[in-house]
Amino acid sequence: MLENYFPVLIFILVGAVVGALPLILGWVVSPSRPDSEKLSPYECGFEAFEDARMKFDVRYYLIAILFILFDLEIAFLFPWATIFKEIVSTDTIKWFGFAEMMVFIAILVVGFVYAWVKGALDWE
Amino acid sequence: MDFKSVVFYLFSAVLVFASLRVITARNPVRAVLYLVLAFVSGGGIWMLLEAEFLAITLVLVYVGAVMVLFLFVVMLLDINLDRLREGFWSYLPLGATVGALMALEMGVVIGGSYFDLFENRVPALVTDSNVKEIGRLIYTDYVYPFEVASVILLVGIVAAIALTGRQRRQTKAMDPAQQVLVKASDRVRLVSMPSEKLEDSVPQAGE
Repeated sequence: MLENYFPVLIFILVGAVVGALPLILGWVVSPSRPDSEKLSPYECGFEAFEDARMKFDVRYYLIAILFILFDLEIAFLFPWATIFKEIVSTDTIKWFGFAEMMVFIAILVVGFVYAWVKGALDWE
Repeated sequence: MDFKSVVFYLFSAVLVFASLRVITARNPVRAVLYLVLAFVSGGGIWMLLEAEFLAITLVLVYVGAVMVLFLFVVMLLDINLDRLREGFWSYLPLGATVGALMALEMGVVIGGSYFDLFENRVPALVTDSNVKEIGRLIYTDYVYPFEVASVILLVGIVAAIALTGRQRRQTKAMDPAQQVLVKASDRVRLVSMPSEKLEDSVPQAGE
């Protein structure tokens, strides 16, 4: 099984090298003569107004957490999809295997409707 | 040392390095990015254990979604970096005690006679695809916990929306439907009043 993932390992290694090599080359080869003006943050030519760290709107957090929850829902759908044929061809759990996932989705649709009605999904 | 061990030590070294940087990095955003690296190398190690579904889910859910949330939270909190670091030495004894206890417990669990993980790992269980094996278990024997998981996810959705609950509209966005439906009578009020002569017009507040 693992040999199927060998290309992925190669891909990771090549990706890491391609990502890191230019940085290392730039760090090693390029001349570095910093002074205070070069190191100061550049903001369109004038002095920086404020710190780069600022409070974000809480809506970003809400979108991210809704994304996690529905992402997990999809993660649960995936093994079910791989054995769906097997479930359907087994007479004893034919409808049971289908219905359990429908119940799962139905419970989460309640949450989806709640999010929709509460306006958590619209950005205004 | 075969190739698999080389890959394992590679991932482990990256994992240990990244985990160390998570707790030593000065900048919280950098710590979060190192945590991403730690998760990815952890996924690599799970892949070596032939737990492919778990490995890909780890990358997909944790790296793809949870770390985005972490980044948002780190940015949302607007952490003062200097205030974060004060009190390090006063918390050190407590933290060291908790850490030592956890390491001890982990040692007892892994080294205990009931958990002989390293002697008989379970390669015999997985004959077919790993994902299919998980699917067979979740959707037959563990249906009830599976449905409970959906309820937990539902609670998460409702709690997140309720906690961030924003009743006030912060932006002045227009609803186009209402704009189209508006009538002239909603906007302009015609008031009939007698015309005034010039001499007795006194400046006064409007009607």
